[in-house]
Amino acid sequence: MILELLLQMLYCFGASFFYALIMNAPKKTLVHSSVIASLGYLIYIVCVNNGNLKLGFLLGTAFITFLGELYARKFKMPATIFIFPGIIPIVPGLGLYETMYEFVQNDISAALEVGVNTLVNIGAMAIAMAMVSLIVSKIKFNKN
Amino acid sequence: MEINEIKLLKTIKLAAQIILENGGETYRAEETIKYICNSFNVYDIESIATPTGFYITINSEKAESKTIVKRINKRTINLQKINDVNEISRQLSLHSISLNDALQKLNKIEYNPEEHDKFSLYYPAISSAFFTLLFGGGILEFFTALFTVILVTLISRNFENLHSSQFFSAIISGSLIAIIAILITYVTGIGNYNYIIVGCIMPLLPGLAMTNAIRDTIRGDLISGTARATEAILVASSLAAGAGVIIYIAYSTGILVS
Repeated sequence: MILELLLQMLYCFGASFFYALIMNAPKKTLVHSSVIASLGYLIYIVCVNNGNLKLGFLLGTAFITFLGELYARKFKMPATIFIFPGIIPIVPGLGLYETMYEFVQNDISAALEVGVNTLVNIGAMAIAMAMVSLIVSKIKFNKN
Repeated sequence: MEINEIKLLKTIKLAAQIILENGGETYRAEETIKYICNSFNVYDIESIATPTGFYITINSEKAESKTIVKRINKRTINLQKINDVNEISRQLSLHSISLNDALQKLNKIEYNPEEHDKFSLYYPAISSAFFTLLFGGGILEFFTALFTVILVTLISRNFENLHSSQFFSAIISGSLIAIIAILITYVTGIGNYNYIIVGCIMPLLPGLAMTNAIRDTIRGDLISGTARATEAILVASSLAAGAGVIIYIAYSTGILVS
């Protein structure tokens, strides 16, 4: 169980490391954003294994955004550089694919069900990102 | 003073252009414009940025107000360039570089030909291969994904300069991925084509556009929110449609059996 989780974190690290390279991220941020991605994915997968899919999207993205904003402060770089490669493993590509698959199988009601679920998951990610960014920016404001 | 204002306008135009062309958020473009202008004691400034273009007006009491309109035609993602612009605007607001230097640096970022990293062909492939493993694939799926995405990257590079290239390259990439994945699993008789297709599609998905669309809408940037949502839906559905057509054909010719 733990070995499997560790393996998945390793895969996740590799995937987001090379994803960041595709997007031409600055070289010194590559490892940081991949570590964020693996940790966020760990939170996500633990939630999913316990049957809380939507909570996984919410908490995973919130964690990635929080760490991304912290690193952005530290390196004085835009937070997107850390958050974007970080959230990519969580983006529900599987849900999107399943939606299309059900459409191809001519099972419209299943396709709609999976599709709406995927949209809600993307919405959960966006809400988590927006909330955390807002809170972190307020914290900075008070310190100054 | 007069020359200074024109130079300032040129600088902020280039900065906003680079940010929007390379996948930066619209609010980042607007804030960069505001920061740079404020650091030169120009406060009466309005800017509206959308993913497809922006307008900037500088009002000055002595001279006439000046406006710049710029259309954004190509949109890619290049985090390095966004970081460079961010650094230049930071240096400008600290007055550690002059406006001339900043303009020169921005010109260099925007117009110098990009040197492609010699391994850049393999990055999407390796990323896809890892995604395939993440979704439950084995060693066969890993190498199939690696091979498929190298091919897809080679082919979709030819579409970069084409009109409506996003749509075309997405639909062709989607179908190519599905063809190779289904063929290889059909011929070898082992492996699961679903893992390969999902893994290969992951790096092509507009993940940033999807979440930025909702974020922009929450912030109240309704126009850029809608524009980004449209972009995300276009790319995601053309990818899905490309793969879907092939899977449909495979089912109706009996290669795949449900």
